[in-house]
Amino acid sequence: MSTLIQLILSGILVGSVYALMSIGLTLIFGVLRIVNFAHGEFLMIAMYGAWAFTHLFGLNPYIAAVAIVPAMFLFGAVVYWLVINPALDKPHLVVVFATMALSIFLQNAALMAMTADLRDIPPIFNRSIVIGSIHLKVELLLGFAITLLCTFALQWMIRKTYLGKAIRATVQDGEAAMLMGIPVPRIFLITFAGGSALVGLAACVMVPLFSVFPSVGLNFVLIAFVIVVLGGMGSIEGALIGGICVGVVQSLSSYYVAPAFGQMFFFILFLLVMIFRPNGLLGQQGAATIGMNE
Amino acid sequence: MRLVFRSCAFVASFLLALTFGAQAQEPIKIGVLLPFTGPLAKNGIENWEAMQIARDMINERGGVNGRKIEYVQGDATNPNAAISETERLITKDGVKITTGSFASPIAIAVSQAAERHGVFHWETTGAAEIITRRGFKYTFQVGAPARKYGQAAVDIVLDDLAKRLKKPAADVKLALLWENRAFGKSVGDGIRTYSQAKGIKLVYDEGYDQTATDMTPIVQKLKDVAPDVLIAISFPNDAILFQRKAKELDFNVAAFIGVSAGYSAPDLRDSIGDSVAGIFVADFPPKVNEGVLKPAVKEVAREFYKRYEAKLKRAPAGHAAAGFSAVWALFTEVLPKAKTYEPDELREIALKLDLPEGSLVNGSGIKFTNFDWPDDPKDAGQNLRASIGVWQWTKTGNEQVFPPELATHEPAMVPLPNWSNR
Repeated sequence: MSTLIQLILSGILVGSVYALMSIGLTLIFGVLRIVNFAHGEFLMIAMYGAWAFTHLFGLNPYIAAVAIVPAMFLFGAVVYWLVINPALDKPHLVVVFATMALSIFLQNAALMAMTADLRDIPPIFNRSIVIGSIHLKVELLLGFAITLLCTFALQWMIRKTYLGKAIRATVQDGEAAMLMGIPVPRIFLITFAGGSALVGLAACVMVPLFSVFPSVGLNFVLIAFVIVVLGGMGSIEGALIGGICVGVVQSLSSYYVAPAFGQMFFFILFLLVMIFRPNGLLGQQGAATIGMNE
Repeated sequence: MRLVFRSCAFVASFLLALTFGAQAQEPIKIGVLLPFTGPLAKNGIENWEAMQIARDMINERGGVNGRKIEYVQGDATNPNAAISETERLITKDGVKITTGSFASPIAIAVSQAAERHGVFHWETTGAAEIITRRGFKYTFQVGAPARKYGQAAVDIVLDDLAKRLKKPAADVKLALLWENRAFGKSVGDGIRTYSQAKGIKLVYDEGYDQTATDMTPIVQKLKDVAPDVLIAISFPNDAILFQRKAKELDFNVAAFIGVSAGYSAPDLRDSIGDSVAGIFVADFPPKVNEGVLKPAVKEVAREFYKRYEAKLKRAPAGHAAAGFSAVWALFTEVLPKAKTYEPDELREIALKLDLPEGSLVNGSGIKFTNFDWPDDPKDAGQNLRASIGVWQWTKTGNEQVFPPELATHEPAMVPLPNWSNR
């Protein structure tokens, strides 16, 4: 029994970290309706940033978020202007290939700058929290808390603030929004940069848990795509639930079936959801967008 | 007029002599196929650093038969890239000798492309058994085949660790964890067969995907079976994830044996700190007891280690020593005997090699199979004298601990202290 509880709790905790890493992707997808294939590389860069910050200044990676999140916002803005904006009014494939090219470029740039060495930070908390025979890693518990906070804050922002309303208006009808005086291009820019900033936050949570290396993004980007689609493309709380589902399914199937099939099972879950709820767990029919999901 | 004619002839013959002279001095081009970028780049570059040192050392000694060695690089990031890069080096650069390629899936691809073009492939550290079992004529695998890694890991348990754990060898609870790609599976299969033949039953035997991001289920299951010894075949990232998870969930074993790759990567220490000390690694020896080396080899070994440490500010991993040993053998045992440097000639020379153990820097000898190995008559080009052993991470570096003849130190920290005391 304690094994089952351990597996479920671990699955929820690690799943929430996956969710945090996917929220940026779902936000960008929901508003700009583009898939950022370089999402994993954004994560990689932010993780390097968090690592460097911790490594150079001897600071806690959670404090590094104060610098990494704005830095990733800027990075996102620059990428938006250089790569995304010029491709937005072109056929959809252009954005796909542009972001893919960006992904390969960033990976290899990182390899040149940082070499293929794995980078790690020393453990922050030396002991796990032990309750009976259940072990919980403090870093994962913190990650879980940050993910919850972040999800609720983002929900509130989208529902209540002027910026949130402008974002929703843009999603519902870009042209009408523009006629109402909403600066749509700027909303796009802010959303893309904001999505990148969220990746920055995820990176600070992930650096104590995972090694950083140039291709680290590849290990996570597939999970992020599954989570985004599973949760209902563009839905933020959907991403949270999707992430936790993936974490738990992976954890249980790896234990009870075989570790090699952990990924297979969450893809089976993914396929089942696609068959029976084609718009994802929390998505509504006919709209893969944030505005419609509210 | 005659004078003009003569001087023309003179100039012409002089020019001709110059071109001939230049031709004799033309470097020997060798295609180096390694993952220089991408997820496998870590060990690929470890190999490359060592291979560059070998090239510099041979060129400083005047090259091979007066010709310098020149490398042409091909970036074999994955099997597909490996094939196209090999094809490029062969067709565009006219390379007739290839070497590399570190990882088994890459080695399989590179040797296939080389064989198709009749190019001589000298594999440094690829290990999967299939590499030399496809009836290829021009593929020579200087490093040990996958089964030997596993055998070394099982042998140290039976011959040494069991005694230290004060248990009869047959009662040692042995667990096996393997990453499920070419190398991990090949080694895992070898360990399963070998331990069965030795009368040991595995209490746990599972494969996992190298890109796994959560090791909780694996560690939890291992905790449930509570093995005495765990043999794990991992790559660097998953090895680190596993060790961290083992610490998080307080999973302890009396002895931990990693097989090559992840557990031999020098940055394991940077990642998991001092808790690396005590872990055994079945692998190419990074540095063997000098006593087993031939006197001339000893000198070369010293120079290699000195240069490597000066260049990278740390001791080489087993991959570096193996990469160096393999290309050094190519430069000093194969190429000097060649006249045409054509693959057919090189093949004949390689097959005639009969070097005892201790002939290469990492303690290996060379004797290739040629469809004549009793255990598998389809095997050709596999070096039967490649050294493999077990070394151990220590507080400050590493020591070769097994087999006793290659060892520089006795196994220490058996049983391994619990996480709370590490």
